[in-house]
Amino acid sequence: MSVAEWLWRFPSALMAWRNLGRNKVRTGLAALGIVIGVVAIASLGMAGAAIQQQATADLGSIGNQVTVSTGEDSDTDGLTDDQVEGIRSVSGDATVVPQKSNFTRLTARNGDEVSVSVTALTNASAMYEVWRGEAPERLQSGALIGNATATRLGLELGDPVEYDGQLYRVRGIIESQQGGFGSGGSTLVLPLSALRDQEYYDSVTILTDGGEEATAVSDAIEARFNPGDEEVLSVTNFGDIQQQVGSFLNTLNLALLGIGSISLVVASVAILNVMLMSTIERRGEIGVLRAVGIRRGEVLRMILTEALLLGVIGGLVGALLSLGVGLLMFDVLADDATQVLAWSSSRYLLYGFLFAVVASLLSGLYPAWKAANDRPVDSLRG
Amino acid sequence: MAQSVSAHVIELEDVVKRYRSGEEEIAALDGVDFHVDRGEMVTVIGPSGSGKSTMLNIIGLLDTPTEGTVSHHGRNVSEFTEDELTEERRSGIGFVFQDFHLLPMLTATENVELPSMWDTSVDRHDRAVDLLRRVGLSDRLDHTPKQLSGGQQQRVAIARALINEPAVVLADEPTGNLDQETGRLILEELTRLKEEEGVAIVVVTHDDQVLDYTDRVVRIVDGVIQGREAEP
Repeated sequence: MSVAEWLWRFPSALMAWRNLGRNKVRTGLAALGIVIGVVAIASLGMAGAAIQQQATADLGSIGNQVTVSTGEDSDTDGLTDDQVEGIRSVSGDATVVPQKSNFTRLTARNGDEVSVSVTALTNASAMYEVWRGEAPERLQSGALIGNATATRLGLELGDPVEYDGQLYRVRGIIESQQGGFGSGGSTLVLPLSALRDQEYYDSVTILTDGGEEATAVSDAIEARFNPGDEEVLSVTNFGDIQQQVGSFLNTLNLALLGIGSISLVVASVAILNVMLMSTIERRGEIGVLRAVGIRRGEVLRMILTEALLLGVIGGLVGALLSLGVGLLMFDVLADDATQVLAWSSSRYLLYGFLFAVVASLLSGLYPAWKAANDRPVDSLRG
Repeated sequence: MAQSVSAHVIELEDVVKRYRSGEEEIAALDGVDFHVDRGEMVTVIGPSGSGKSTMLNIIGLLDTPTEGTVSHHGRNVSEFTEDELTEERRSGIGFVFQDFHLLPMLTATENVELPSMWDTSVDRHDRAVDLLRRVGLSDRLDHTPKQLSGGQQQRVAIARALINEPAVVLADEPTGNLDQETGRLILEELTRLKEEEGVAIVVVTHDDQVLDYTDRVVRIVDGVIQGREAEP
C-alpha cells in the first residue's frame, strides 16, 4: 500500500499534504520559522538545564551539609562534648563529624616549608574521598594528606608526617578538586587524638541525605541550642544556599524559555500569514469543494490539518536540530554530551515540539474558519 | 429520500433575488418561474448580466433567493440549513463549470472522487474509474489537470459531477473555454447522460451550438424570463 493509498483513508490529511506540496518554497519557509522557534525554545531550555546541572555538580554534596561552630553568645571558645552529644541526638540518622582544627608547617626533605591546615576527626571516610590509599571510617592512627601538599613535599603512601612531635604514616591521599570547601590540596587529616590538647571542638559537620533533611537538622539544632535571639552555636546550612541557587536558576530558566517562546510566537504569526494567504489564493478552489458538497467542517479540518502538518514537520526538524545543539552544549558545559538525554533537559525537546504543534493549530484556526464559512457562491467567484 | 414521481426535479416559483449595490437595490432575478424534469435538457440563454448565473446558483443551492420558493423533488429547500444544503448538493446535484475547476494537485481519478472523498463509508474509486472510462479517459486516470487538454479536463469535470449519481447536472458555460469540436463532444456526452441515465440537465450558455442538443430554451433578460418557453 502506497503512502497515497494509506492517506486516502484520511482525506483531510491527503488534501493537506498535497496542498502543502504545491508551493514547496512557501511551505519550507513557514516550516523554517517553526524550526527556528523550536530550536530557540528547546536550546534555551536545555541551556538552563545544563547550567543548573553544572551548578548542582559544582556545589556537590555540600547542599546536604550543616556546619556548626560556636556562636558569639557561647561561654566556651569551642563546642563541648555535651553540645556534640546534643547535636547527635537531634540529628537522627545523619552522620555527625566533630572536628578540631589547627595550622602547621610541614617541611620537605629538601627544606621547603609548606603551610597546611590540620583537621582532626574520626570519621574520615564520610568527609573525604581519597585518590590513593584509604580513608578509614575510624581514623585512629596515621594521616590523610591533600594531593597538592603531598606532591610538593614528595610524600607517598606509607611516608611519615610529623605533627607536634609525633609521626603519622600517610594512609591516603585526598583528591583535590573534590567537593566544596576545605578539601583542597593543603590539608592534613589526623586522628582526634593528635589534637587532644584542644579541649573543645572547632566545628561539627553533619552530613544528611539531602537539602531538606539538612534544613530540618539545622532548624532542630537552632531550636535546641539558641534560645531566643542568642547565638550559642553558629549553624550554617548549605542546603538553604543550594535551594536559593536552585530557585535563582529556575527563574533564569523561565526567563530563557520566555525569550524562546517569543520566537515561536513570531513563527506562528508567520504560519497565520501563510495559511491566510494560501486560503485566499485558493478561495475559488474552496468554493468548488463547497459546491460539490464538501461540508464546512471538512474544509475546516483540511486547512487545520495543513497547519498541523506544518507544525509537526517544523517541530520534528526543530527538535532534531535542538538535540544536536543540546549535545554540543552539554559537551561544553557539563563535559558529558549524553546528559542531554536525561529527562531534565530532553523534556525541552518535547515542550518545543508540543508548543510548535499547538501554536500552528492556533494559527490555522482563523484562516480555516474563514475559508469554511465563506458562502460558496462568493468563493466560487475567486 | 422522499421523491414524488409527479414533482419536477427542480422548480423555482416567483423567485426574486435582490442585491444591494451602494445606495440602490438591484433585482438580479425578478419573479422567475422555472422547472426542469427528469431526462430533460434545458438551456438558459440571455445577455451578460441578465441573471442567468444567479438563477443557476439558486437552482444549485449555492445561493438563496430573497423571495420565492425553490423545490427539489417537491421539497421546499428554502428552510434548509447550510449543512442540509451542502448535503443536498453532494447527493443530488452535479456541477460543471466553464473553467472546469479541477483541483490541480489531484489526479483525474481523485478529482472525480472528490465529492465523496470525506465520506469514508463508501469507496467510489471503482465508480470514478468507470466514469472516466465512459468519458473516454481510461488512459488518463493518474494524470493531473495540467497534463490534460481543456476538453479532457471538462470530461473529468463531467465525471466528477456524476460520481454521486445526481438527479440533475448544472452546467455553467460548459463549452465556453473549448473549441467547437471539443464542445460538440462535451454536449454529446451530456446528451448521452440525459438519455441513458435520465439525468435532468440545465445549461447556461452563450454558445449557439448548445441549442442543437437542448430540449427547451429559456431566455432571460434583466432578471425576467422572456415570453413563453420556445422550442429550439
